[in-house]
Amino acid sequence: MVARGARVASDGYPSTRRRRIAEQAFRALTLLALLAVVAPVIWVITGIVARAVPHWRWSVLTTNTVGASGGLENAILGSLAIMLGVLIIAGTLGVLGGVYLSELAGFNRKGKQRGAVLRSATEVLAGVPSIALGLVGYLALVVQFHWGFSVLAAVIVLSVIVIPYITRGTEVALRQVPTNYREGAEALGMSTGYSLRKVVVRSAIPGIATSVLIALAISVGETAPMLYTAGWFTGIPKASLFHQPIGYLTYPVWTFWDYPSNQAHYLAFDAALILLVLVLVLLVIARLVVARSQRFAENRRN
Amino acid sequence: MSAFVPLVALVLTVLVLAFKAWPAIRVNGAHFLVGSSWKPGNVYGAVSTTGGVAHPLGSSYGAWPAIAGTLESSALAIIIAVPISIGAAFALTERLPRWLAEILRSAIEVLAGVPSVLLGLWGALTLGPLLANDVYPIVANHMPNVPFFSFFRGPTGHGEGLLTSGIVLALMIIPIVASTTRNLFAQVPALPKEGGEALGMTDWEVGRKITIPWVRAGIIGATVLGLGRAFGETIAVAMISGSLLNTITPNIYGTMGTVAATLVTQLDSAFADGTGFEVRTLAELAVVLVVVVLIVNTVARIIVRRTGHLAAPVGGVI
Amino acid sequence: MIRPTRPARIVVALSAVFAVGLGSSLVAATAASAKAKPKKVSTAIEKPGAATVTETGSTLLYPLWNIWVPAYTQKYPSVSITTNGTGSGTGIADATNGTIDIGSSDAYLPPATVQATPTLENIPLAISVQVIAYNLPGVTAHLNLSGKVLSSIYQGKITRWNDPAIAAANPNVTLPATPIVALHRSDGSGDTFIFTQYLSDSDKNGWGKSVGYGTSVQWPTTPGGLGENGNGGMVTGCKATVGCIAYVGISYLSQLLGDGLFYAALQNGKGQYELPSSAAVAAEAKFFLKKTPADGTISLIDGPVKGGYPIINYEYAIVNTQQSSASTAKAMRSLLEWAVNPKFGNSSQYLSQVSFQPLPKKLLTNSLKQIHKIS
Repeated sequence: MVARGARVASDGYPSTRRRRIAEQAFRALTLLALLAVVAPVIWVITGIVARAVPHWRWSVLTTNTVGASGGLENAILGSLAIMLGVLIIAGTLGVLGGVYLSELAGFNRKGKQRGAVLRSATEVLAGVPSIALGLVGYLALVVQFHWGFSVLAAVIVLSVIVIPYITRGTEVALRQVPTNYREGAEALGMSTGYSLRKVVVRSAIPGIATSVLIALAISVGETAPMLYTAGWFTGIPKASLFHQPIGYLTYPVWTFWDYPSNQAHYLAFDAALILLVLVLVLLVIARLVVARSQRFAENRRN
Repeated sequence: MSAFVPLVALVLTVLVLAFKAWPAIRVNGAHFLVGSSWKPGNVYGAVSTTGGVAHPLGSSYGAWPAIAGTLESSALAIIIAVPISIGAAFALTERLPRWLAEILRSAIEVLAGVPSVLLGLWGALTLGPLLANDVYPIVANHMPNVPFFSFFRGPTGHGEGLLTSGIVLALMIIPIVASTTRNLFAQVPALPKEGGEALGMTDWEVGRKITIPWVRAGIIGATVLGLGRAFGETIAVAMISGSLLNTITPNIYGTMGTVAATLVTQLDSAFADGTGFEVRTLAELAVVLVVVVLIVNTVARIIVRRTGHLAAPVGGVI
Repeated sequence: MIRPTRPARIVVALSAVFAVGLGSSLVAATAASAKAKPKKVSTAIEKPGAATVTETGSTLLYPLWNIWVPAYTQKYPSVSITTNGTGSGTGIADATNGTIDIGSSDAYLPPATVQATPTLENIPLAISVQVIAYNLPGVTAHLNLSGKVLSSIYQGKITRWNDPAIAAANPNVTLPATPIVALHRSDGSGDTFIFTQYLSDSDKNGWGKSVGYGTSVQWPTTPGGLGENGNGGMVTGCKATVGCIAYVGISYLSQLLGDGLFYAALQNGKGQYELPSSAAVAAEAKFFLKKTPADGTISLIDGPVKGGYPIINYEYAIVNTQQSSASTAKAMRSLLEWAVNPKFGNSSQYLSQVSFQPLPKKLLTNSLKQIHKIS
């Protein structure tokens, strides 16, 4: 690469003026790219806030949906319940999967990593469109297993969608644990399992927590796979895994935004605002976790 | 054990879809991919049987318009997203003061985290109408009536359609491409770049001649990964494309449909087909989508791997 | 119990279809309803025990369910009911495969579904109406439109609002030369089903032969023609497009008028132009009442009746008469008995909120008989 740079130089540069213009254009383009990313984000956020705030009523948080009006308590509690389910199922399976791939998969006799197939499957699953997973959830869980629209069907489909993120995030976080931590643990005579639990996983926790938070943000924002697994419910979620549909926040947005009444529109915008706040809060927490762990790591290094 | 969950889920997904779709695959044949009319037949009329599979008389399925719409909208998204993403990656790694880079990084993270139904809502209520009222007509009226450019002429609709979908899809894949590219840029060794600078190269020359060539394969890989995401996006496109059947838009503004949007908008009426054939056909459409996305993703990962760099996770957030 | 009724039900269903398709009388259907024994049917509402009832389906019925359910559960708090507006197809499918207890649908069951699951029945709950809306600034009258004209518009044969065919039916209106933009539903829907039935019936040799009817059809290409998602999409799209024409369920009427759209008077089977008034809907319903078979499977389209509005339909509850749980079955019966009762669910107090019309009294007996079969 260095040789390449040198060759360009020896080939003779274009005129200084042209180079200066090219450089200015480059600066302008990077700034433009910056604008093209930042402006839509601000626009989307302010757009949703501007539609929701003028009609905002706090009672939205404490009353249930009635038809296409009323409040969103059922949807908020439903979304939180679903997130809890995803946290339990996808959190457990995803983190364990990541630990396995990073620490335990090891190498086979040919010296190839054993986890390669599993890792590829994880990455490939992350690319499968969520609508396809939702369709499978409907055909298999809701209809074939006779679960009906149910919390469990929704949680399982969402878990399948986000497990790859958690597994991958866990693996990356574990990889970044310095080798001398592991060596130190070994030197102290810790067993592999003990050192994994007490030293390695513990120092990877910020990275793992971040990936779980992101996964929760993804799961709360899914729509297509929820329509045919969770159904929709206008009451407070019930403690029943089967045959009991449940409300969630993306439903009012998708269903009521072009519904024939202003109340329905307000409900859609309110749900959009709550959804936005929820996602932003999750992202901010993830940011704080990262920032805190970085500061911690820097302190330790000093 | 839990590391096997994704593999098992993947296999089960493909099996369930393939099992459901198999009779439809047999009946619809190759025509399914190239035919351009999606006819459910008369579900209240007689039932006919082809090769032992019952379906409503007159049903005949061709998914080409949906496939073409998917290709068009995804291609547009890539054309818009890739230059912006590379520019943003430059901005993040080399060009900007730290506080500005921090804002950009946050914006990319938020963009990756915003639920697609919200982007759809914004596209349908804010972006689409604005473009249709104030931007599209100006563009359409000033385009010369020659091949290629004539695709930008003609009726501009009311904001739902191919170009609006392409723009919103682009916003969805920018985080993927930008964060992967940023990671790749960060892995370019400082030595050659500093060497270039020492030789008096400007930042643009260093970028064009050293940084980008160094990670070109990785950028292509990230782009293909973004393409996979655009293919599969459902809800936002269903809200802003017009979600039409049987229509290939005559110009860039027109309403159209995609494979994923067809799945979510047609599933309900498919259930009205008592023979179950239309649901099987939608499962076939899902099979097509999954197979294409799997191929695209595999290609992307092979390209990214070959460069020796790990791709950022899909979604690009972490 | 089920076996003997199965062939009869299919014959009825098929004959109803053919009769509508050919636009003439429904002999077999009438015969079937005449066979029903004249027995007094109880209109009492059973008192249910603790039970859960789930409902999903038609987005037109969904608002009504949401008005009904709080009123019903206030009286019978032991029943817990959940409702969902997913679309008629899902209502039919989920009632068939047992995912939910009550499906609701704008269209009756297709024969193939009945054949596969003979214990299913479609119970008329109320009457809905379809309006034809248009966006023509300056034209504040209700335009007169016929099925033939609509058929030509949706085939791209009539492309401007001042076409002689439209002008002839509207002598007192100054029509602009605005191009017509024909909107159709891109998702499958009961609205498309009844609208295309009207076109098929009034233009038998044209639309009837070339396109036909169904919950989604292959729309001919028309200049600027657009597909819209859902009734809401139809109204939003029409509002945004000058010169548009759209078919919309009547529960969207207030939205439509609020957006400055107007709706048309349609030509009925007697050649008169009628607005979708309560009287016109009742006249049409009365005509089809005699022809409605015991299982309620019939389209109420384009009847040759004086003063009738030609596109109306029954809104159905789709239920499986064989329920696994006796308490659920009882709660379902109770809820449906309450819903069709003119003193409760079918009173204008509830129906007028969504511009629906109540079931005619005679049909009530029919629906109750169907409801009593659930066990």
